[in-house]
Amino acid sequence: MSSDHTHETDAPPLTETIAPGTASDPSVSGTERATITVDGTDVTVESGSTLLDAVEAADTDDTVPALCHYDREDEIGPRSECRTCMVETDANGVVPACSHPAEDGATVRTAADPAAEARDVNLDLVLSDHNLRCTTCGKNGRCELQDAAIEQDVDEPRYGVLDDRDAYEPLDDTSSFIQIDRNKCILCNRCVEACNDVQVEGVLRVEGSGQDTRIGFQSDVETMEDSACVSCGHCATVCPTGSLVEKGIEDATTIPLPGFTQKNSVGKSHERHGKSKGPMTPKKRVDSPATEDSPADDPDDADGGEWP
Amino acid sequence: MTSILSGDETVLRYSATGPPELSEVAADAGVTVAAVGPSGAPAIEPLVSVTQGGQTTFHTRCSADELRELTAGLDDGLPTDLADAVVDHDPSATSLPVPDLAGLDAGTRRVTGGWGWRRPTDPDDHEAAGGFVTATAEETERAGESLRGRGWGDWCQDEPLADTWETARHTDGEATVVVNAHGTTADALLLASSPFDVLEGACATARTVDADRVVVYVSEADEDAAASVREAADAYPDLPVAADVVTGPSVYRAAEPTMAIEAVEGNHRLEARLRPPGPAEVGIDGRPTVVHTARTLAQLAHTLRQDGPTTRLVTVTGDVADPVTVELTEGDSLASAVDATTVEGSLKAACVGGRFGGLTASLDVTADPASLIDAGLGTEGVVEVLSESRCVVEFVGRRAQFAADENCGRCVPCREGTTQLAELLRDLYDGRYDRDGIEELDRVMRTSSICTFGVDAGRPARTAMAAFESEFEAHADGRCPAGACTAEVTP
Repeated sequence: MSSDHTHETDAPPLTETIAPGTASDPSVSGTERATITVDGTDVTVESGSTLLDAVEAADTDDTVPALCHYDREDEIGPRSECRTCMVETDANGVVPACSHPAEDGATVRTAADPAAEARDVNLDLVLSDHNLRCTTCGKNGRCELQDAAIEQDVDEPRYGVLDDRDAYEPLDDTSSFIQIDRNKCILCNRCVEACNDVQVEGVLRVEGSGQDTRIGFQSDVETMEDSACVSCGHCATVCPTGSLVEKGIEDATTIPLPGFTQKNSVGKSHERHGKSKGPMTPKKRVDSPATEDSPADDPDDADGGEWP
Repeated sequence: MTSILSGDETVLRYSATGPPELSEVAADAGVTVAAVGPSGAPAIEPLVSVTQGGQTTFHTRCSADELRELTAGLDDGLPTDLADAVVDHDPSATSLPVPDLAGLDAGTRRVTGGWGWRRPTDPDDHEAAGGFVTATAEETERAGESLRGRGWGDWCQDEPLADTWETARHTDGEATVVVNAHGTTADALLLASSPFDVLEGACATARTVDADRVVVYVSEADEDAAASVREAADAYPDLPVAADVVTGPSVYRAAEPTMAIEAVEGNHRLEARLRPPGPAEVGIDGRPTVVHTARTLAQLAHTLRQDGPTTRLVTVTGDVADPVTVELTEGDSLASAVDATTVEGSLKAACVGGRFGGLTASLDVTADPASLIDAGLGTEGVVEVLSESRCVVEFVGRRAQFAADENCGRCVPCREGTTQLAELLRDLYDGRYDRDGIEELDRVMRTSSICTFGVDAGRPARTAMAAFESEFEAHADGRCPAGACTAEVTP
């Protein structure tokens, strides 16, 4: 049968050299089917659930944004970094719902003051480090941070927003397929996990610490163009904000006023140097490098094969 | 080699970490020579002592020339005329006979008894002092029911050890014991001066949790401590488990228990792990792991060996003539630790409990964790003295900025919270004092940060606002009562 693998190889696992720079978290889900009381309502969740699953199953008193949580793929999260999902429990006090195991008999209150305060303050803290120029953002109207802020009635975030052009990181406009605006990154880590755990490409990582924490590249390069990115686009798919956007739609929802675009909103950007080009996986090709003579955007002339 | 701790011959002790000439001169002295570890009082090091029978002379800040002079006259008896202190004692004393010297004469010496007296990596010295007693798992378990973890690097900080041990024991897989000696002066001193005590406590813990491996985790800056514990592990008679020494980056956050585990596993970038479950269930390479500081394990070893008062190691630093590490019983006041050194000027405040300790004007607090916590202070075992000339607002502002610069960058309440805390404190210099805002932020950092770093980062500001509120108001009015802040100062 063709599906039988008759010989084994001793190749290392694909993940062996992947270094995403993040902690090896324990599994944080409950092991048993559990009945949880959420704001007075009993809900039953399957094994492998977190308190957030219970909160989502119940009609809760308060909204629990769980901004960095991603519920569409098992391999992504919970990162539990934004802490906008704090709820009060009888047994453990205030805990993050997205990364607390659902244990049978637990009681959860979403509207308890310390939990509601923590969610509010943490959402404002996320906004404090965010480029809030929604009118030039390609994700305007389909942004999870914007949704959470609207849902939580954030009129004026208490710590303000990042609006110091000197402090803005340059846009990375070097890839033909994905634009990066780190000024909008909330460090939810979804892109890093999509890249490393789902696509097993080992391109993105978290680097730095404190305010210098950022999404970077495992190959120690500065731009997407110089990275080993295969342009699969999974990072842009999972990004909750306008930090990773597919090229071509980076201005899709920009308010059509003359002069305002996503790219000039920050004022600085990394541009393509055009030294390598062609098929989407320049760093993966065996027959690189391309010559400088090759026209940068003409795939027919690129090394690496004919386009169909 | 037999123990130097009994017998009639003359014994010359000198600081192993002193200049190399010291050991050359000592080697030529024609008497028994012992290189001993740090005493805990760096101001008087290199410390040399000469013992004959039941009398010892102490020679502080001893240079090679001074040592040459005193060894030249050894044939004529003890060099008492050259000594800074002379002590009569039991001829077979296994602990330092405490001389009347600043830094050594404060508190008690139980866990620190061998500092400056026993050879750190000599098993005979340790055995002569009552060491290498093998306690059963049950005896250890009983001791762990009341013994509390010491320091922020201990997973059981201020909590009894036994519950965590039980969790580790009942989790599948061979357990690991991590000795966390990263970053704190007292822990590094224990490894440098009495590593067998620490290893003994680790072995007892290993027996109790069925561990097959002990990992000693040290800051790469503490080379002496790493070398000493490595040598002691090699010399440990019939070491019951494998023992490795691993170094981690010399940054404050690297002492956090889960970041210690990340460092031991070899992650190039350290960030805190989610919990629950804690390391006792999922630790190094997914195996059950208990993480204790060197202070906790040395205390455990002494508790198993003999009854006695539970003690605390306290390092006094800041605006003092010289930093010093002393040992207090839990009933001693922190003021008695500060008495071991000299405050430069008069004491205005102290930051008690490490980098993110609590600020207080009074050191009339006993060293037990319950009293410290009641007083809003930290239990890290560090008292940082601030003299009259220091500005409390500037101090807490700098601590907030340190927290903003040095956090691992993982969670929002800590990464962004510390940045905003520093901003709110900086606003004082623009005339805005938002006390409620600072308190709200501190509350949220405490309830929602992943690890102790973020939980504790707001404590200096919180406690300073409670104890020195008038100074905050004065700054908002454009005035620094200490005269320390100028218009240019950014906290």
